[in-house]
Amino acid sequence: MTAQSRQRTPNPHLAAYYGIVAAAFVSLVILLAMAEQLGWSEGAIARFMILLPLALYLLMAGASRTLDVEDFFTSGRRVPQVYNAFVMAAITIGGTGFFAYTGAVFFLGFDALAIGLGWTCGLLLAAVLFVPYLRRAGAYTLPAFLGQRFRSRETRMAASALQVVPTALLLAAEIKIAAVVIAIFLPLSFWLAVLLVAIFVAATGILGGMRSLTWAGSAEFIAGAIGLAVPLIVASVLLTNLPAPQFTYGEMLGSLQGAETAAGMSPVEPGATAQALPQAMPTQAAKPFLQSFGAITESGFFTLFLCFALGTAALPSLLARSGVTSSVADQRRSTAWALALVALFVITAPSLAVFAKLLMFRDMALAPTDGLPAWLSTLSQWQLVQASDLNGDGTITAGELLIKRDGVALAVPILAKLPYVLTALMATAGLGIALAAAGSHLFTLGVSLADDIYGTLDRRPIALPRLMAAWAAMAACALAAAVFLFIAEVDVLRTAVTAFAFSAATFFPILLLALWWPRCTAWGALASLGTGFAVLFLAVTVGGLFGVAETAVGTTAASLVAAVLALGAGVGASLYGPAPAAFETAYYEAMRRPDGETLFDQAQTRAATAAARAAED
Amino acid sequence: MTAQAQETEHAVRDRHQLRTLAVAITTISAVLCAVAVTIVYAVPLNRLWFLHFPLGFYLLAQGLLIFAVVVTFWYVRVQERIDHTRSVNEEIV
Repeated sequence: MTAQSRQRTPNPHLAAYYGIVAAAFVSLVILLAMAEQLGWSEGAIARFMILLPLALYLLMAGASRTLDVEDFFTSGRRVPQVYNAFVMAAITIGGTGFFAYTGAVFFLGFDALAIGLGWTCGLLLAAVLFVPYLRRAGAYTLPAFLGQRFRSRETRMAASALQVVPTALLLAAEIKIAAVVIAIFLPLSFWLAVLLVAIFVAATGILGGMRSLTWAGSAEFIAGAIGLAVPLIVASVLLTNLPAPQFTYGEMLGSLQGAETAAGMSPVEPGATAQALPQAMPTQAAKPFLQSFGAITESGFFTLFLCFALGTAALPSLLARSGVTSSVADQRRSTAWALALVALFVITAPSLAVFAKLLMFRDMALAPTDGLPAWLSTLSQWQLVQASDLNGDGTITAGELLIKRDGVALAVPILAKLPYVLTALMATAGLGIALAAAGSHLFTLGVSLADDIYGTLDRRPIALPRLMAAWAAMAACALAAAVFLFIAEVDVLRTAVTAFAFSAATFFPILLLALWWPRCTAWGALASLGTGFAVLFLAVTVGGLFGVAETAVGTTAASLVAAVLALGAGVGASLYGPAPAAFETAYYEAMRRPDGETLFDQAQTRAATAAARAAED
Repeated sequence: MTAQAQETEHAVRDRHQLRTLAVAITTISAVLCAVAVTIVYAVPLNRLWFLHFPLGFYLLAQGLLIFAVVVTFWYVRVQERIDHTRSVNEEIV
């Protein structure tokens, strides 16, 4: 008797289901737009616009609940490539990208493009270097793959412990940005919003693991894409008469330069501002949009780009999705689609920043004759903007207008005088992307702690079976993230930079060695992991005393140094120690084969067959 | 499996790995070199205008991203062909 491998047929009705989800979302927007014209209050519109999609996501997560281990950890390995790409794109961009990156482009213009370029090239690196081989290996988590590659429990546990830092930082950042949006639009305090988001994210992950995260995450991404596109296209039509903001904002650059000059902006020198990246607190926009390498030098730009590229390529939450499609080719294509979606967002973000900046400073230039613009009171009430005529000359210049970085995306519909429903739509869009990313980070973190550390230490779990351990770990991690946000002040962009830096320094070198160098051994893997993490950790914690890694660009530079040292340590330890065992070489060769069932599933099938034979005997 | 068949299979495997490595290096170096060159020459390129954008800005904001998407889908196609060739050759062996 042999155990049969599972059928990997995706649900043929998925396109219809998601068509219905998208149509329902668009219908909700249209209905609320009509309700706004009928005199509904802004509070009621915001509640419906935010809570109904949240209920839908939760319903989808509940409908895809599962107790099957393979469904829980890999969504049954039958997710179509485009749906996996939706979630991968949401993880890469996240609420941090949606709100903080657009804000960074608003403040830094040209200089902030390094981050978006880094995300896109990071997905290219992942598609070429890592994803197909991880799909072939088929491990449920990144540390589990390293454990299987080197047949080393120590490597698996070390990788799991070290992936806590980047994943937990990103989880905290995503929960925070989602809570900030909820606190603006719903009558909840920030702390209650944090708790609500943590419970929501934990519930989505616990109900069906990777399965519910995939199907709820796809809906969240679709809502995010619609919610970003609609207000931006309407603003583009109003400003440029064409519905393609990505290509039409070039026409506005001349007007923007004029508005910036009128507001008193002049070119800045690198180092003139205390921090290269803008702060979370309301800050003045000091740098002209088109000035090249004003806040960040050319080398800093390249460092930032490279750190985000390596960090994205080796991001544990992204690579955890490497086993969910039905084949190696599908996984590769899925990553290419994710790259295309991320590139589309990155191409779109500057148009949003240009529209916001132009509308803001053009209205401010007209203030002495036309009075203060109406949007100022709304944005001040939400604490997204602070304006004060410090010198009493009757005008508000760029230096007197303090803008909150993470509120720029929300400000665009208000600045363009669009109906309130489009502001709520933009908030729902960012919230959806943040929740999809937070869910994936929480799942990666919780499942790894449960499966790679608890599961490895306790081979025959008595107290907690496998899924229960994962549920408990996810609930504990969500609670810990909420408590962390209660006690710590988190700047989401700075946190994301640190997280990507840790991902680049700790995981990129070892993945490169494990997947592309057959001579790499368990000792080399441990040396690489330890060196990359330790060097960056020292730079971030005590490096400030010596002027190292104080700024975001400094952190990214330290991460690249750490990555190079980790690569060297991995090569050195592998060459110095004994040669890899025959099973390690055999695993490496099998992993590089492009076809066939995953190695993990083959091992499971062999184990099931052996158990069946033993039962027959 | 005879020794000759095993040798042929190893040759097929080695050719596949070599071609995979070559296409990976080509893909990554093409994009990274394009990014590096654009960053180095961004300031002079900004004196030229393209579709109402300064060229250096346009390349970093859109051009290189479109290039990365095109290169990735090209890579996917080429790699699938390389993988298919290995599968066919192994079946023949």
